[in-house]
Amino acid sequence: MKKGKGWLKPLALLSLTGALLVGCSSGNNASSGTPAPTQKPVEQVAPQATSTDDEKPVDGGTFTHSTTSDIVTINPIFGNDTASGDVMEYTQAYLYNRNPSFDLAVYPWSLAAELPKVSEDGLTYTIKMKNNAKWSDGTPITADDLIFTINAIKTPETGSPEITKYDKVKEMKKLDDYTVEIKLTQLYAPFAFGLMQKLAPAHVLKDVPFKELQAHSYGKDPAKTPTSGPFKWSEWKQKEFHVLDANPDYWGEKKPHIQKVVYKIYADQNTQVQALMKGDVDLVDSIPVTQLEAVKAKGTINISTEPGPSYEYFAFNFDKKNFPNNYGLFEGQKTRQAIAHAINRQGIIDNILKGTGKIMDAPFLPGTWADPGDAAVHYEYSAEKAKQLLKEDGWVAGSDGILAKDGNRFSFEFIFNSGNSRREQAAVVIQQNLKEIGIEAKPKALDFSALVDQYANPGKFQVLLLGWQLSDPDPDGISTFGKKAFPPGNNAGWYDNPKLDALWEKAVSTVKQEERAAIYKEVGKEISTNLPYVFMYQYGTPRGMTSRVKYKDEFKPVSMIPYGETFGFLNWWIDDTKK
Amino acid sequence: MTEYLVRRVLQAVLVLFLITVVSFGLMHAAPGGPLKVMLSPGMSPEAQLIQMKNMGLDQPVYIQYMKWVGNLLQGDLGHTFKNNVPVGDILWPTVWNTFVLMSVAWGLSMLIAIPWGIYNSTKQYGLSDQIASIVAYLGFAMPTFWFGIMLQQFFAMQLNLLPLSDMYTMGKEGQVSDLILHLILPVTVLTLVNIAAYVKYTRASMLEVLEQDYIRTARAKGMKERRVIFRHALRNALIPVVTIIGLDLPTLVAGAALTESVFNWPGMGRLFVEMAVAREYSVLMSITLLISLMVIIGNLLADLIYALVDPRVQLGRKGGRAA
Repeated sequence: MKKGKGWLKPLALLSLTGALLVGCSSGNNASSGTPAPTQKPVEQVAPQATSTDDEKPVDGGTFTHSTTSDIVTINPIFGNDTASGDVMEYTQAYLYNRNPSFDLAVYPWSLAAELPKVSEDGLTYTIKMKNNAKWSDGTPITADDLIFTINAIKTPETGSPEITKYDKVKEMKKLDDYTVEIKLTQLYAPFAFGLMQKLAPAHVLKDVPFKELQAHSYGKDPAKTPTSGPFKWSEWKQKEFHVLDANPDYWGEKKPHIQKVVYKIYADQNTQVQALMKGDVDLVDSIPVTQLEAVKAKGTINISTEPGPSYEYFAFNFDKKNFPNNYGLFEGQKTRQAIAHAINRQGIIDNILKGTGKIMDAPFLPGTWADPGDAAVHYEYSAEKAKQLLKEDGWVAGSDGILAKDGNRFSFEFIFNSGNSRREQAAVVIQQNLKEIGIEAKPKALDFSALVDQYANPGKFQVLLLGWQLSDPDPDGISTFGKKAFPPGNNAGWYDNPKLDALWEKAVSTVKQEERAAIYKEVGKEISTNLPYVFMYQYGTPRGMTSRVKYKDEFKPVSMIPYGETFGFLNWWIDDTKK
Repeated sequence: MTEYLVRRVLQAVLVLFLITVVSFGLMHAAPGGPLKVMLSPGMSPEAQLIQMKNMGLDQPVYIQYMKWVGNLLQGDLGHTFKNNVPVGDILWPTVWNTFVLMSVAWGLSMLIAIPWGIYNSTKQYGLSDQIASIVAYLGFAMPTFWFGIMLQQFFAMQLNLLPLSDMYTMGKEGQVSDLILHLILPVTVLTLVNIAAYVKYTRASMLEVLEQDYIRTARAKGMKERRVIFRHALRNALIPVVTIIGLDLPTLVAGAALTESVFNWPGMGRLFVEMAVAREYSVLMSITLLISLMVIIGNLLADLIYALVDPRVQLGRKGGRAA
């Protein structure tokens, strides 16, 4: 729930991840895995790159990263919440990292030596690890750690929230101390993204029964938690802060300039923003839009309003039982398209999100390799077009001005979670927009867990306004839109489109990324024409960083990928001279 | 007296028992639940079931309750669902932090409010009394978080005199001078609110007593005004004030969620809100129990103090009444 984003994680939960790289052909260079996606520049508001070429990095200094929730654990087998993930970004190394386009990549700080080699049939992955990596207690990081980690996660007794990542792993073989061969039960392209995995130390945990792993002190007690990344976990004061110190024996070629990271927990977002302005903290990753002007006025904070990896949706329910007289209001494709035309998405982005958003027409993150781009149908804001489409679909204005068909008024209730002020404001705009075309839409805010438990999970609502967080890099969406994800799955609106289901299936059983991308273009076209949702916009919260933190442009924070705000952190430095 | 105490303690145990039953039941009846809050929904139903079993959530509520009570009687407050940390590890530090903050605010409020209320009752509608009225209106009417933010803006942001938030500056944990600096703003907020109430009660109570015949008698005897006020009026007037203050005792550990949030004070108020969202039943039950205990102790203390300030109150005689 952190950052107030959508409930379930997104897309692809079941599957996680995607695509791959594949090409084994590209597998030998040590940088990014797949064809460079055409990433469109996203407008940034204030933040110029905060260093010029003649400035030289200096070593030392403390960086304070602020947050509003504490970690669960930094054991990679269990920690998958945002706060745990934040601390692990500094302390635990990934086997493969994600690059700014959300693709698999090998960096000097990755545990892998090269991109995975995938067999022709897509069933066998060979992973080569660096041979000089060490845990902070001096033990080498080897194939054993990788095999142990995946084994623990895929075993249900462990209770890892990441279990679905590896449910298609058939067997793992240790070819030598630094090479592992993984065989899958079936061709499944998203598997590769599951390899963006941080490892747990086999030498500490291998004798612990899986059932007891969660209770083990590894990941919860700094003194008993050797780490694999550039920073050691020195101290944890519950609900207050974490202290992370640069590991003097860090194995990576690239050592951090910044010597200490404080991860500081605030109970109140306003206080957190004040602390940023006062200089108590260096990074706030979600500034309430209401405070944006004040922060800008301060002048010493670099602000980015690039949206994050989340999107907002307005989901129709296709189960007729949810409507009076069992009359499904959203049966007509033209009716759904009319609603897409009627909602002023750009207006909401400009006025309510204060620009921290970008219209989305399909459930793919803009700028990633699977983004269908113009292949997805875009519905511009037009009440005229909306009215025309409704007319074509047989809706006629009744005596009270509300449209009706076959004696059924076009009136419905749309629900969302209370306490999210942006969503509450957007709901009012939606209500107004739909009223203009003769539809009565009644917003209703509900407590989040009640909403999930009693409405979303059982699929009992008329329309649901909520968000998804696309934290998994694979674009597979069958667990959100497919028939097999009917309630209590994530397909809360009982959307059933066999053509799409076939496309989703085809895409995950295709290994070559270019071929997958072509399939997702078709998906994008079909889904944006048929509209299980009105896809609203990609959104996020503005991020602020004090100007004492310096970095070259290539290492600037990236909003679009999870944990992207500290992408390239090892190359940052602190300059206190002109504070 | 002993008999009275024993009876009160027995009553307290019964009340606590009922409180735990009701709150345990209510918590489990609320929608959501710890598993829903924390698991990724991609987990297969089988895997979720295993997790439910690991957490003991698959059992009927009454079994879960009995297990909880059993552990409690052995001094075990349980573990969090989320990461299996002993509840005590989280709870006790926050109890202490809240106690530091609240006891300073509480003590200060009494030191200021009671004498002030007494003084105002003798100089009704004087300047001091008028000021107290304004303070009281402000204290009652002003949202505490707003007042807190205003203080932060002025003293921390504009003047840069005081720290913005937290209990200690990083690296100065345990330094009393640092703690005092951090206490000033939140204590100011909490004290203002408390003073508003206490001054009004003290003054009203004093005025009522000062109208009594025995006060007039005392004055008629030619007794000094000072002696009339402190010897005769005050002890009677304090009885209702003691009740109010005693009832506030639980806030010493319960904390003030809003003020703690605004000042990022690592206390119980904050913890409770956070744990309620996460549905951490064990932590919530422990907090509920602790606060209930404080309510009972507060009441008991108020009753005992009656006996001190008012000789007419005799506890325990003839099955004495618990006020």
